[in-house]
Amino acid sequence: MIPIIIDIVLRTGDIALAAVALSAGYSLVKFPNIALMQYATVGPFLAYLFASWGAPLVAAALAACIAVGLIAVLLNITVFDRLLKSGSAIAMIGSLAAGMLFTAALLVTAGPDSRHFDFPVEAPLNVFGSPVTGPQLLAVAISLAAFVLLAALLFLTDIGRCMRATATNPDLARATGIDARLVVRVIIFLSGVLAALGGIGIAVKGELNILMGQDLMLPVFAAAILGGLGNPMGAIFGALVIATAETLAATLNFGPLIGKAFLFIPANYITAASFLILVLALLFRPHGLFVNEVKRV
Amino acid sequence: MMVRISAWLTVGMVAAVIAVPAKADIAIGAVVPLSGASATQGEDQRRGIELAVDEINAAGGVLGQPLKVIVEDSGGRPPSALDAAKKLVAVDKVPAVIGEYSSGITLPIGQYLVQEGKLHVNIGSSSNKIRDIGPTAFSVIGLEAVSSKFSAEDVAAQGWKNIVIVGPNNAYGHGMAEGFKTEFEKLGGKVVSTLLYTEGQTSYRRELQQAAQYKPDAFIYSAYGKDGALINREAFELGVNKTPWYAIYFSMCTADSKPEYVVGQYGMDLNYIGPDGKSYEEAYKKKYGADFKTSFSGYGYDAVKIFAAAANKAGSVEPQAVKAALIEVGKDYPGATGTITFDAERQRSYQPYLKLKKTETGMDVR
Repeated sequence: MIPIIIDIVLRTGDIALAAVALSAGYSLVKFPNIALMQYATVGPFLAYLFASWGAPLVAAALAACIAVGLIAVLLNITVFDRLLKSGSAIAMIGSLAAGMLFTAALLVTAGPDSRHFDFPVEAPLNVFGSPVTGPQLLAVAISLAAFVLLAALLFLTDIGRCMRATATNPDLARATGIDARLVVRVIIFLSGVLAALGGIGIAVKGELNILMGQDLMLPVFAAAILGGLGNPMGAIFGALVIATAETLAATLNFGPLIGKAFLFIPANYITAASFLILVLALLFRPHGLFVNEVKRV
Repeated sequence: MMVRISAWLTVGMVAAVIAVPAKADIAIGAVVPLSGASATQGEDQRRGIELAVDEINAAGGVLGQPLKVIVEDSGGRPPSALDAAKKLVAVDKVPAVIGEYSSGITLPIGQYLVQEGKLHVNIGSSSNKIRDIGPTAFSVIGLEAVSSKFSAEDVAAQGWKNIVIVGPNNAYGHGMAEGFKTEFEKLGGKVVSTLLYTEGQTSYRRELQQAAQYKPDAFIYSAYGKDGALINREAFELGVNKTPWYAIYFSMCTADSKPEYVVGQYGMDLNYIGPDGKSYEEAYKKKYGADFKTSFSGYGYDAVKIFAAAANKAGSVEPQAVKAALIEVGKDYPGATGTITFDAERQRSYQPYLKLKKTETGMDVR
């Protein structure tokens, strides 16, 4: 039981930051930005690059997050804002194309090989009888800290109140004197930072390669939609649901059900779990599990 | 006017080129992965070839002419490898081509060469399908059938009864898993599960967690460098490495892994060097200033040497003549990688292997 819980927590951490970024971005800029998955790939690569120049990991990660945040703002001003005028579907396809450009750029510069942050080898810690590594704890801590900070920003600060007001009713918000453009830029910047941070969390405890973003796409979209697109805190819950489904599908032995000793779902097919949840969510709760709360400020 | 002059010039130049007698060198071709995922092994193969050429030419060459081996890069990709083989046959007009490393590439270039009536010598692939390439194809490296028997006996000798096999989901992985299972079950062992993973993933955690639930006596695995490194790391992180791990082709599985992750692993590997290979080992160290990088250089060396011996015996480099001579020479031929004897299908019938164990200080021969 304990190993399953640990796996669920780790997997939630993988998915949640990018899902929150997607949802937060959507709350103000009404299209699902697929390029976010690539921000989650570019982030760790930049951090890896800065670290290879000798920067300490924390500084490298911070610089990478800020750089990705700025890229996100820049892309939004130059590309997505214009595409959005033609409709959200156009903007979404544009973001898919932008994402492909990122992949191509990484393929040319970094190459197809995977790499990882070079931590010294340490024996895993024993957490209630299950092995957990230092980098895994670090990744979970990064996610938790990011959620707490984001919640504090959204619910305790002025800019947070402005964001929520703009998200709920942009016209009314503008009428009350909120600078909507500034608010949008702040949230786009934050979504870039969060996506990059999510990618760095994954890379720290595993590998980084150019396919990371692609692997994230499905579970992240499923989590964000489940939590209600535009509801960042809902996305965390969505991520928890997806992570639980994936982990159970991966680790449960279905053999006894059909009278055999062992039967596992092959690991390659486990992403189907998020597909299934996505389809069910779109069929029955297309606006997410918490649809009523999204409308409230 | 200019046009006419340059036209005449061109004709003159072509005539001049034709007038020069054809180069006296005897050339054969080689296709190895000098770039891509197996570049380390490919470079080692190239070094073996280079050393053999130096040695042969110092001793007077082939049929009194200097020998040349034209080495082409396969990039680890079947299409590039096939293009390289076509270039060697069509442009360089070589009678024989040696190579490649990966079975999935050796098969198509071997088939192409046999179609063209040229000789092919396999120096790095172990799939049993290599046996069926055709009448002018040879192997100086033991195929899966030979290695599975060896590793199954070695695993059984450790007292392990129930095992899980882990390997890549490709031609090599399927062949390895099936070959090992057949041989191991003959010895009374049981393969409780075979787990073939998709290559190039960013995590093998789930595969490993599933495999661990079978609670086997040991894991038998084979993986290419980078995948092997990640599997070994995650097995260590999950504590799955507390069960013994046995590597098929140890140097391939662990080349990119940190030693801490693979200490205690058992395994088998190609014998780097046979009883007659000492002078080769010294020549390698002298020329490249280092020990062998992988276990694959000796096969490139042996392939070139045995070809030269056969051509000298045949008194010709014509493929059919060399083929007949190769079958004669390939009887207890003292190669650097041990004695080479071809079976009726021109495959190496016996291949010495090493039994290894990784310890804190290095690799021990068991």
